[in-house]
Formats: sequence, C-alpha cells, structure tokens
Amino acid sequence: MAVAVSDEGLLVPPGRQPLVVEIGGHYVWSLTPLRDGRPAAGGVLVPWPGVLRPHLSGRGRIRVTDATGAAVLYDDEVALGTGEGVLAVVDGSGHRLSVDKVGHLARSFAATDEAVRDEILAGTRRAVDDLREHAGVAAYLNYGALLGAVREGRMLAHDSDTDLCYLSEHGSPADVVTESYRITRAMRARGWRVLRMSGGDVKLLLPLSDGRVCHIDVFAAFHVGETFFQLGNRSGDLPRSAIEPFSTIALHGHEFPAPRDPEAMLAFLYGPHWRTPDPSFKYADPASGVRRLDGWLRGFRTDMGRWTELYNGPRRAAIPRGPSPFAQWVEPQLSDLPVLDVGAGTGRDALWFARSGRRTGAVDFSRGSLNVIRRRARRLRREVAVDQLILGELRSTLVHGTRLARDPHHLYARHLVDCLDPAALEQLWLLARMALRPGGGRLFLEFSTSPTTSPEVIRAAIEAAGGIVERLTTGRGEDMFDLPVPDVCRIRAAWPAPDSEELR
Amino acid sequence: MTTTDLARRVRTRIRDRGTLRDRVRVLEAEVQENRQLNRRIAELTDVVAELLVPLEARDHARVDEVLDRFRTGL
Repeated sequence: MAVAVSDEGLLVPPGRQPLVVEIGGHYVWSLTPLRDGRPAAGGVLVPWPGVLRPHLSGRGRIRVTDATGAAVLYDDEVALGTGEGVLAVVDGSGHRLSVDKVGHLARSFAATDEAVRDEILAGTRRAVDDLREHAGVAAYLNYGALLGAVREGRMLAHDSDTDLCYLSEHGSPADVVTESYRITRAMRARGWRVLRMSGGDVKLLLPLSDGRVCHIDVFAAFHVGETFFQLGNRSGDLPRSAIEPFSTIALHGHEFPAPRDPEAMLAFLYGPHWRTPDPSFKYADPASGVRRLDGWLRGFRTDMGRWTELYNGPRRAAIPRGPSPFAQWVEPQLSDLPVLDVGAGTGRDALWFARSGRRTGAVDFSRGSLNVIRRRARRLRREVAVDQLILGELRSTLVHGTRLARDPHHLYARHLVDCLDPAALEQLWLLARMALRPGGGRLFLEFSTSPTTSPEVIRAAIEAAGGIVERLTTGRGEDMFDLPVPDVCRIRAAWPAPDSEELR
Repeated sequence: MTTTDLARRVRTRIRDRGTLRDRVRVLEAEVQENRQLNRRIAELTDVVAELLVPLEARDHARVDEVLDRFRTGL
C-alpha cells in the first residue's frame, strides 16, 4: 500500500512499527501509525504534529522509511501549504529542527556538528562535577544519552539534549523539593543559568558556540516506600542497588557516571525491547505515578508555556501598545507611591505609568513577558524594574511581599484575576496583604467576570484577606487585546495597617 | 423475601454503587489536595531555613542582602 502526503498529514498503512519522516534529506519526525493515527479511507491518517505545522509550507522532497531506513515507503517532491518557497524545518538561524520524543521541536544530534556535540558533552560533564562538588548530589547520565552510549556507543541521532538524574536520599517528596531548591542555589552560584520545571527538575542552560542554548535536564529520582520515581514522569520498580554504586560509561571520549546496572535502568525506562531502535518511542507511564508526581511537585507553571508562546510569537502584535482604558482610569487615583504592575504582560501599562518618571515595577511569571518589557523599556528609555513573580510558588510571593512591605507600592493588575487558578489567586491576596498593610498603597483590579470571578466572589476574597473594597464598578470593558467584552469589574481596595485593625 | 423486596434491594445496591463512585472521585480529589501540601511545606521550609536567621538578627543591611540573594536564587 502506498503512502500519501497532504497538508493534513500522512496516509500510511496500518502498522505498529515506527516510521521515519525526512524533509529535504533531514530527519524531522517519527511516528507509529496505529498509535498516532486514525482510520481513514485507504489506511491510517497520522496528522502532522502541531509544532511542525508552521513550517509546512513550500516545495520539497519528503521521504518516509522504516526505522532502519532500509524500506522506503515514500520518496517524492511535494508542495504543502502555499507551495511557495523551500520546504524546510529550521529555526530563525537556519538550524535544522526535528520533533523530539516529548513532542517539542528541537535540534537533534544528527543535525549538530562534532565540535558542538563535544561542547554539549563537556558541558554535561561539568554539570555532573558541579552537582557533586557544590550541590552535594551524585548525578548519573540517563535517558537518551545513556541509551545511546550502551546500545550504540554514541549519541542517538534523533536525540536533542542530555539528561542527568540524581538519586535522592529522601523518601518524602517535601524533602526532595527542598533539596532541589538547594541544588538550584548552588548551581546558580556556580554561574549556571537555571530554569525550574517542577519541584524536582531543573534545566541548566548551556550556551553553545553555534548560538544555540542546550538544555541539560537535572531530574530528581527517589523512592517513596517501595516505589521508584524518576522525573520526568517515570515510576515503578527499580531498587537502589540497580543505581548505586555507579558504573562508568564513555560517550565520544567523555566519561560519565552511569547507573550500576545500566541495562536494568534502560529496561525500566524504555521497556524490555530497548535494544531495538524505535525513534517514535513514547513513554507509557503508570497513571497513578503521574498523578502522584503532579500532586507532589507540579502546578505552578501549568500555563507558563502558553503565555510565553504568546509573548514570543506573532500574536503579541495584536496587543495594543498604548495605555489601556483601565490604566487611564487608575492613574488619577494614584498617590505618590510607586506602582507595581502585576501580571504585566507586554508592559503596555507599566511603561505608560513610567513615562513621567513615576517609579514603576512590572512583574509577570512568563520570562517571555519580562524580555518584551525590558526591550521596550530600553527602546523608550523608561525606567521599569522588571522581575519574575510566580504566584503559584509561595516562596516567590513571600519574597516579593517582604520586599514590598519595606518599599510600599500600589499594586495594579489588569486581567490577572481572571487568568489565575484558585491557588494562585489566594497568593495574590497574600501578596496584597503583605505589600499594602504597612504603606497604605492600593490594589487596583480589572477583570472579566465569571461565576468564579464575580464581583461578589472577589469582594468576599479581598475582605477575607483583611482588605476593604473602596470602589467597585461593573459594566462593558475591553479584554487584553482591547476587544469589547460585556462584563468587566473594576475594584480599588485597601488593606488597613495592622495597628488600626487592632484598635477597632 | 418478596419480589418487591428483592427489587428494592437491587435498586438500593445500584444506587449505593453510584454513590461509591462519586465518593471515590471526591476522595481522589482530596488526596491530590493533600499531595500538593508537599510543595507548600518545602517552600516554607526553604524560606524559614534561608531567611529566618538573618531576619531575626534585625540587621537591615544584612536583611537586604539576604533577601536579594534569596530572590535571585529562586
């Protein structure tokens, strides 16, 4: 049966064996028909992954083969999308990209030259050493890099990063998280740029000479009772004795600590058939383990990726640049105190508040947002203190609350209340209470109303946190794109100082 | 037992099973809420361990320095 290629996806024969897709002679994606597709006339239709779609316009050669490349199922020139230009899956600098095993678009080792691959491995080795000597945890090479080293003696062609794990001594998830915080501090002190992905895993950012930044994942592994957990999302049976004491494994001339029994680790990760290459492999993690890891370690950055995508992508242009009507409503009500825009987005209002020299801060949980505001402030030559605030992370809220208690500000939040989950919303009230009680600043809110964010619900939450609603209006308004929305609420609230509260 | 009694017992059992399913759903949600306390405990432990001692010393310059270092290390 023939393969057909269209804008929709690939029509392939039904099968359980992985297929490999190349565009213009470069690997881009791997799929398993019966797992990834749906029945269609003439076979199984496997839709293009969402991350590839923006690149699928132009003319080029598409080739579909089996995993070994021996059997060619399709090899032809095609026109996708507008059919204009060259079909190529590349980043802004022209580097070839492919879909990795968790569905992200990344640059694979097949598209990385030897010198850069060497930088990645040397950087990974430096991370292992820093983790041991400065963060006090013994890390081992794991996942794709371990699989490549054991099975093929080299990096896997379709892999795109290196992964390290450390086996925690702790059996309580709370202690594992605390340990991960300590590791972050130690690695930052060593000069690493660190991104926290959950309470148990961070990414070390390794700048490469080709302009790219490689991510080295540092995952916690730990036992709770008899069950072994290893981030990303793995859980099951693997005794400590399969990991420690470490063995040593060589990869392109670099030596790394590895689990004591690498084969047992690889069977735990990839199943009993790990020796057979399957570039389309996807994890089949036990749902109960994922549920536990989600509950213990995650929840503070659920929507972060979506927001960063907005601020880094073309849709940002749809957000107006001038001040919002709400900012113009607020400004005459501001005393001389500085103002902090919470959930500042593109910074349109913070930059406007700062235009006449008013001390202004802008915080957001998305690094994409912070970069946009910094760039625009530089261009406009305006002073805006930009910082990250993650309302889902208590430490972040507490440290900002403490800072603001000592340096009083007004708090300004437009369309933030309607974006926060209940836990983050609770922390907004905590922040307001900490920040506004000592200095007499006000909280200014604008939000679209809904059953969970009705004026009554928000008023009750403010009052429960010790605040007083001084002003509340409802009516027609605008969303973040300044498009009309029917039900918008504006609130001005104050938090009486502790002394006056006690005197009442 | 009459046929009517039997029918009533069967109906009750079916109804109880539905109730049990609902109850399990609620319990699962409650268990997940409790799991989330792990991160909360870790965050509080981290704040207390890293900040409380210098704050207690009431040395303002030192407090500023420690707060700043903690914030950049998050």
